[in-house]
Amino acid sequence: MRAENSVLTVKKMTKRFQGTTALKEVSMELFNQEILAIMGENGAGKSTLMKILSGLYPGSETEGSIFLHGEEVLFESPIDSENMGIAMIYQELNLELDLSVTENICLGRLPLNKVGLIDWQKAEVIAVEALERLNLTLDMAATVRNLSPSMQQLICIARALVRNPSILILDEPTSVLTSSETDMLMEIINHLKEQGMACIYISHKLDEVYKLCDRIVILRDGYYISQYLKQEGYDSERIIEDMIGRKLNVMYPSIEKTIGEEVLRIEELKVPHTSAYGKDIIEDVSFNLHRGEILGLCGLVGSGRSETINAIFGSIPRTNGKIIIEGKEVNINSTRDAMRNGVGLLTEDRKKNGFIGTMSISHNMTLTILEKIKKLFLIDRKKESEKARYFFEKLSIKAPGLETLISSLSGGNQQKVILSKWLLTDLKILMLDEPTRGIDVGSKSEIYKIINNLAKEGVSIIVISSEISELLAICDRFVVLGHGVVQTELSKEDASEMAILRASSNT
Amino acid sequence: MKKKSGAKLFSANIINKFMHRQESSIILALAVYIIFVSSVNSTFISSGNIFNIFRSSGFALISITGMTLVLITAGLDLSVGSVLALGGVVSGMVAQAGLPIPLALLSGVAVGSAIGCINGLIIVGLRIPPLIVTLGMQYAARGLVSVITKGVPVYPLPKSFTAMEQVKLFGIIPTVVVVALSIAVIFHIILGHTPFGRSVYALGGNEEAALISGINTRKTKFNVYVITSSLAGLAGVFMAARLGSGEAAAGTGYELTVICGSIIGGTSVLGGTGTILGAVLGGLFMEILTNSLTLMHISVYWQQLVVGTILILAVMLDQYKRDLMLKHSIRGNTQTEKAQKKLTYES
Ligand SMILES: Nc1ncnc2c1ncn2[C@@H]1O[C@H](COP(=O)(O)OP(=O)(O)OP(=O)(O)O)[C@@H](O)[C@H]1O
Ligand SMILES: [Mg+2]
Repeated sequence: MRAENSVLTVKKMTKRFQGTTALKEVSMELFNQEILAIMGENGAGKSTLMKILSGLYPGSETEGSIFLHGEEVLFESPIDSENMGIAMIYQELNLELDLSVTENICLGRLPLNKVGLIDWQKAEVIAVEALERLNLTLDMAATVRNLSPSMQQLICIARALVRNPSILILDEPTSVLTSSETDMLMEIINHLKEQGMACIYISHKLDEVYKLCDRIVILRDGYYISQYLKQEGYDSERIIEDMIGRKLNVMYPSIEKTIGEEVLRIEELKVPHTSAYGKDIIEDVSFNLHRGEILGLCGLVGSGRSETINAIFGSIPRTNGKIIIEGKEVNINSTRDAMRNGVGLLTEDRKKNGFIGTMSISHNMTLTILEKIKKLFLIDRKKESEKARYFFEKLSIKAPGLETLISSLSGGNQQKVILSKWLLTDLKILMLDEPTRGIDVGSKSEIYKIINNLAKEGVSIIVISSEISELLAICDRFVVLGHGVVQTELSKEDASEMAILRASSNT
Repeated sequence: MKKKSGAKLFSANIINKFMHRQESSIILALAVYIIFVSSVNSTFISSGNIFNIFRSSGFALISITGMTLVLITAGLDLSVGSVLALGGVVSGMVAQAGLPIPLALLSGVAVGSAIGCINGLIIVGLRIPPLIVTLGMQYAARGLVSVITKGVPVYPLPKSFTAMEQVKLFGIIPTVVVVALSIAVIFHIILGHTPFGRSVYALGGNEEAALISGINTRKTKFNVYVITSSLAGLAGVFMAARLGSGEAAAGTGYELTVICGSIIGGTSVLGGTGTILGAVLGGLFMEILTNSLTLMHISVYWQQLVVGTILILAVMLDQYKRDLMLKHSIRGNTQTEKAQKKLTYES
């Protein structure tokens, strides 16, 4: 239709991996000044298509062709695509954790002075300007390792913007961002669009996509399925059906259950800041949790939600505070102590401490239950694969088999594996930090069902999530953190998005 | 027609499966090399020479098993050569003192365990890199040997002690080979089928994730160093029996043979991957290499050059495999970080 406006055309793209074909003759187009969403289930091939466009998967290893402004191009490495004005923000943060903010932003194009040495002053100016576009001021010399995932994501975005791309590709940029950061990012993208940039945007969050994107292309099992235009109005039901290949009946299942006696009580918890020395991120926090209850832990970024549950789990130190489980004070100083006392934690950063990249799906899943699947001295292989297969199928993990290396899975499928690792344990208390990060709509509803069922069986659960709607739907009670203390506690009846947000920002 | 293509598919399947086994590269390399050497020099495949190869590779194979565990945890143990000497000298002295032979053997292993405990405690407790700790121990243990022996070999050793190495199973298989292979089989099972083995892989793959999953990373780490040193001590006992004397200089350069063998056998220097079978084949390859080069009258100096080159090639191959893996997932896991650094700088 608007062929003359097309900036990027992909024709019959096929990409094969060992054992799977991730893309099957996918054709698509990106138009001038357009924000295009690519949607689909976990493992549909979205990231694969984007990695082809960014040159990470060399053109010679794919079948199909790419046209930029009508001319055929061949990308053999990310440098090629970058030189042609394509910048990509990968699903997995690819920062140099031990380098500074400035270095990370300017990496690969550090400005040189006359002598041929790096001009650090100029580099810092460039980096500061890039961050200013994102309304961000940071200590430019700080190493990136200590920053929160959302800050790290923003740095990735700044790095892409420094390159002044004409096509910007964002692969699930908001999965680690807060709602205000997301709003800001959308504003920036809209602004860039007005200046003439085209953008491909991947996200599993429907509302976000509806608001931002002019067009949606849907992939399923590596095939192009359909497209929807904003001007025609988006129809959620049809879009979801196209994505998951069936009708989604209920997003948030409800279950009859009874909430029992108190299982966990936290008293006067105090946790030092992980990066700022001498400061406390949690000053004085107390709350409790009942048997079969799902508790939502809310707060803005930096309110110490993750730090709270990490301290309870013993993975970061606390300077004060009692942990009382079933009426007895317990001594938790390490993750093993916590698990011995029936407490588990799904951490926020799946790559840093979530999965073990050199291991298979089933081996990753059973790490938490090694002692339980033991027969005499040996691991009972049959029992192990039975256990792993249960969630492999229940969460419809997309992979050739249980023996597939976890590092070859798509981001969302990796998340499903590490979630299974905790669902397999029979712990009394499960703490889940962003359990559905990067997971597609269909599987999300499956996960809510599983969490609800666990609660019904008497497991007590604490959930942190950046998606308030998700929290509102599954939690029985809410504890809102802010300024190092508990701002308020809300029952299910009193809770609303407004109430939680108001309490978090303490206004 | 159908049947034929079925059979074809079947054989293709077997080849495919084989190529995907971690040990496939080393098996191919071994096969090609053996064919090459035996066609050049027929004494190579004489039964006498094969016996020699097995007998002398036994010493390295005993420790290769332990070293492979250490390497899989992304660690390193440079002290095994010195521990071998220490084990030999101590067991020799115990035997000389007239104590029973099993006690002599046990004392050699025990002194190795003790050194391993020290290594492990420092590495785990004080968080000092294994490279530094075990390099220090390499010197310290060697020093200890000299102090104990005052430079004089522990000689002569009782007949009953040296006999230990001369017994042959079925009249042909040397004891040390039997011991080495038994140890290899036991650890093959431990590594592949027990929670401890799983922890070893997890530790090398991503230590933080292993810890979060409730794995006792400290205990696991400590144990692998104790195991390696104990085995080195055991190798020392057999070495002393073989030489008929506890030598202070025994096992110099031994750590390199052991590490090379394991790496050539497919153990990754970055941790997380490796198998006992691969490592044993790697160790055998090292022995076959030196043996065949000697047979072909190539001087020791050249031999060192060849071994060094092969080690670097093996690591390059490992790196290449990882780069392939890396393409699958940007910054997939901690061990690929180094490779990724390269990638990010280039881009
Ligand atoms: N290196 C690889 N080796 C083997 N299979 C791979 C590899 N990379 C991706 N795949 C497979 O290709 C398919 C598509 O993966 P891709 O990462 O593109 O999914 P995605 O649509 O981005 O999913 P998500 O929403 O979870 O991010 C998946 O089934 C995945 O397992
Ligand atoms: Mg993806």
